[in-house]
Amino acid sequence: TRRHLSNTPDNILHNQETGEELSVHGLLDLGFTDSQAEHIYDTFSKSTRGSTAKHALSTLSTLIVLGFNPSSVLKLVEKCPELYLVKESQLQQRIGNLRKLGLVEGSLQRVVSHHPQILTMKMKKINHRVLFLKEKCLFTTQQVTDIFRDSPAVIQEDLDQLEYKFQYVYFRMGVKQAEMVKSRLFRFTLDEVRNRHCFLERQTTIVNPKISSMLSVDQDMFVTQVAKATSEEFDVFQRLLMREWQEEDLADFGNISD
Amino acid sequence: PKWATTRPKYPATRLALHHFDVAYGSQLGPLWPSVRVALLCEKKYGALINNFSHHDAMAELQLQGCKDFISDTAAAERGGEEVSQSDLQTTSDASVHSNIKCLVFPEETSYLPLLSRPDSDGLLGYYLMDAASVLPCLALDVREGHTVLDLCAAPGGKALTIMQTYDLGFLCVNDSSVSRTMRLRRVLQSYVPKAQLSDAKVHISSFDGTMWGDVERDSFDRVLVDVPCTTDRHSVTEDDNNIFRKNRVGDRRRLPQLQTALLLAGILAARPGGEIVYSTCSLSQQQNQGVVEQAAHLALEQHGIHTQIVDLKPLTQKFSNTFHFAPGLSVGEMVVPHLAANFGPIYMCKLRRLT
Ligand SMILES: C[S@@+](CC[C@H](N)C(=O)[O-])C[C@H]1O[C@@H](n2cnc3c(N)ncnc32)[C@H](O)[C@@H]1O
Repeated sequence: TRRHLSNTPDNILHNQETGEELSVHGLLDLGFTDSQAEHIYDTFSKSTRGSTAKHALSTLSTLIVLGFNPSSVLKLVEKCPELYLVKESQLQQRIGNLRKLGLVEGSLQRVVSHHPQILTMKMKKINHRVLFLKEKCLFTTQQVTDIFRDSPAVIQEDLDQLEYKFQYVYFRMGVKQAEMVKSRLFRFTLDEVRNRHCFLERQTTIVNPKISSMLSVDQDMFVTQVAKATSEEFDVFQRLLMREWQEEDLADFGNISD
Repeated sequence: PKWATTRPKYPATRLALHHFDVAYGSQLGPLWPSVRVALLCEKKYGALINNFSHHDAMAELQLQGCKDFISDTAAAERGGEEVSQSDLQTTSDASVHSNIKCLVFPEETSYLPLLSRPDSDGLLGYYLMDAASVLPCLALDVREGHTVLDLCAAPGGKALTIMQTYDLGFLCVNDSSVSRTMRLRRVLQSYVPKAQLSDAKVHISSFDGTMWGDVERDSFDRVLVDVPCTTDRHSVTEDDNNIFRKNRVGDRRRLPQLQTALLLAGILAARPGGEIVYSTCSLSQQQNQGVVEQAAHLALEQHGIHTQIVDLKPLTQKFSNTFHFAPGLSVGEMVVPHLAANFGPIYMCKLRRLT
């Protein structure tokens, strides 16, 4: 007992370029169920305010072809509705570019599912970030691929923050590139890394605590198991540290204006 | 973007930390990491209220959320069980009787404003100090009419605290350093009215405290011996004037000896029946318990003076909400820094001179 919503004029979104319609029928053909198709309609018209349906169907089918099942595709477009707005050719180019960066099957799907925004970004921007990681931070091609695979958000992170995080870990913590990749450093914000590192550094006699033991656990585990402290202490510490850094920033600012 | 900087190789603060890691790592055991991180973070202050000032600094600070940790606990206790008359007579309960008020922010990361305004007579409303520094003064339990000696008094925080209590009979403030004694004089002048600083009430001197026995013996009701020490917090945070600098190794090695001589001089200066409080801002067993035991031993051996250690537990229990005290000290009490109560370190031990 299939309901054919495509007969209802309201539910037909016309693809002006190719003449294809984002019809429920088309969606069902791609493997979506009735209710999924309905859901796509709802969210589509809401998120793009009905402005254009041009690329919706091609986006959905590209994602299916990429190996995502319909329910995963649904999650992707919900997380990042801007995907509907990307031209099919652009989408293909971007996917090709990511493959060229070494994100082959499996890794590519992983990155897209964690960070679908990556497909909405200009290739130039992504390649620029690759160059930054290679030339400024001296990661190898393989290491850059690993970083993108494990921590796709790195692609959109503020560049100053990213650079400072790298410098902090490299110079202050004395950690080399390979170790950074292994510890999945780029999944953490600069503040998280700094707070944990400074806490251990001020608390223990070990000059540079191992980054892998610092970052391999969640915050509670870090506090109780690694630092063997109370959450009250770590809370206070984080607030104090924030202020210390702010004061230092102010001091830096003062120096610049001198 | 800014660059994360690397540090110079062996500054005095590093040497101090290394020394403490060895000494306190074994002395404090599992407590040390927590103390260490607190020592290396911003400390908390207390505002000692100047009762001589016309400004109502107390009300001003209370508006900002500060609480007097001394009266707060006293009030909490009164609200609890009734204290019987006999209890009041046998325990020397300093805090309830004194006029000493010291305000701290209850929120662990709020800090006091660093400025205190002068009133119409030019007197400042409060003095900022480590709130734990008030404890040795409370332990001293000064009463009306007492003659008091503060043997190592500069820059004067504790002397000022003592002066907030009753009308003293006489207060001697001494410090061997001439420049620091001048600073002490300036501090007293910015907080205490001239009339209270007359020759009849206060005497400021600059003797070597170890020689005090040659000046005046067997006379004071109360003696505070707040000795020079490794000033642990300062030593791990400031490179200036740091006792762990290579060229001050001798000074540092001689500390326990100097401290013992000062405490012994303090014992000699007290009258029989008088009380002596020894204090440091170090966690070092050698500079704390070690010195007390040695001085008490020498007082007996060399001068035939018997002393007795006075239990400070009643005092520390009262303030356990404000400070973290080290558990299980055999001699004296110690405030250990803790992130949620970042005061101290302060060690104190009270002796009663029996003969
Ligand atoms: C810990 S500070 C005293 C702090 C003071 N009680 C206060 O609360 O502001 C130790 C002081 O001892 C002084 N001192 C050092 N050697 C001394 C000695 N032989 N006799 C007297 N004072 C001495 C130092 O100049 C220093 O000011």
